[in-house]
Amino acid sequence: MKNTIKVERAILDLTQGELAERIGVSRQTINSIEANRYVPSTVLALKLSAIFKKPVNDFFMLTEDD
Amino acid sequence: MKSIQDCEARKIDKLLNFRLPHYAKKIGWILCLLSLGTILSLKFIDGDWTILKVILKRLILVSLFIVVLAREKVEDERLQHIRAKTFSLTFLFSAIYILIQPVINTIVGSILGKEQDVFQDLGDFVILWFMLVVYLTFFHFAKKRD
Repeated sequence: MKNTIKVERAILDLTQGELAERIGVSRQTINSIEANRYVPSTVLALKLSAIFKKPVNDFFMLTEDD
Repeated sequence: MKSIQDCEARKIDKLLNFRLPHYAKKIGWILCLLSLGTILSLKFIDGDWTILKVILKRLILVSLFIVVLAREKVEDERLQHIRAKTFSLTFLFSAIYILIQPVINTIVGSILGKEQDVFQDLGDFVILWFMLVVYLTFFHFAKKRD
């Protein structure tokens, strides 16, 4: 699974810390998600979707490995 | 029947998600270091410290358990995921350690000619100490890496 959270975050001009605070996780969690080290739960993905005002599919994409 | 199952599932979830406050971590480490320091200093003081040593060893285990149960500053789903992974790894490593260590003791004992070491079981302190230290080490590194 890959994602474009870093791009979406840049569009909204949010730092990792600010985004983390908005969805109630740590900054390290946002960093791990952006680096594809951690795949978030559906709940977290939907929270991100609400912040970015985009469907989850727009910033999370399946890769060939999935 | 379904409501009983739901109730049991909720109780298990509550138990699994139980965490002590973040400051308990500091208390746990201080207690652990104090107990360790006292045990080490007892070696240099004459006297029969058997009971005190037993109490201090239990205190070390309790303090490490407090550290394990203490929540992080931000306890989110990623940390819960890491905790679950770390618990699995700890179980695996402990099982291997418990199975292998008496054999290693036996081999080393026979090489050194110490008959009393043959197939001696590990004590509960050693097992719990090993589990807690392995858990804390894995958790620390997984937190940094993942």
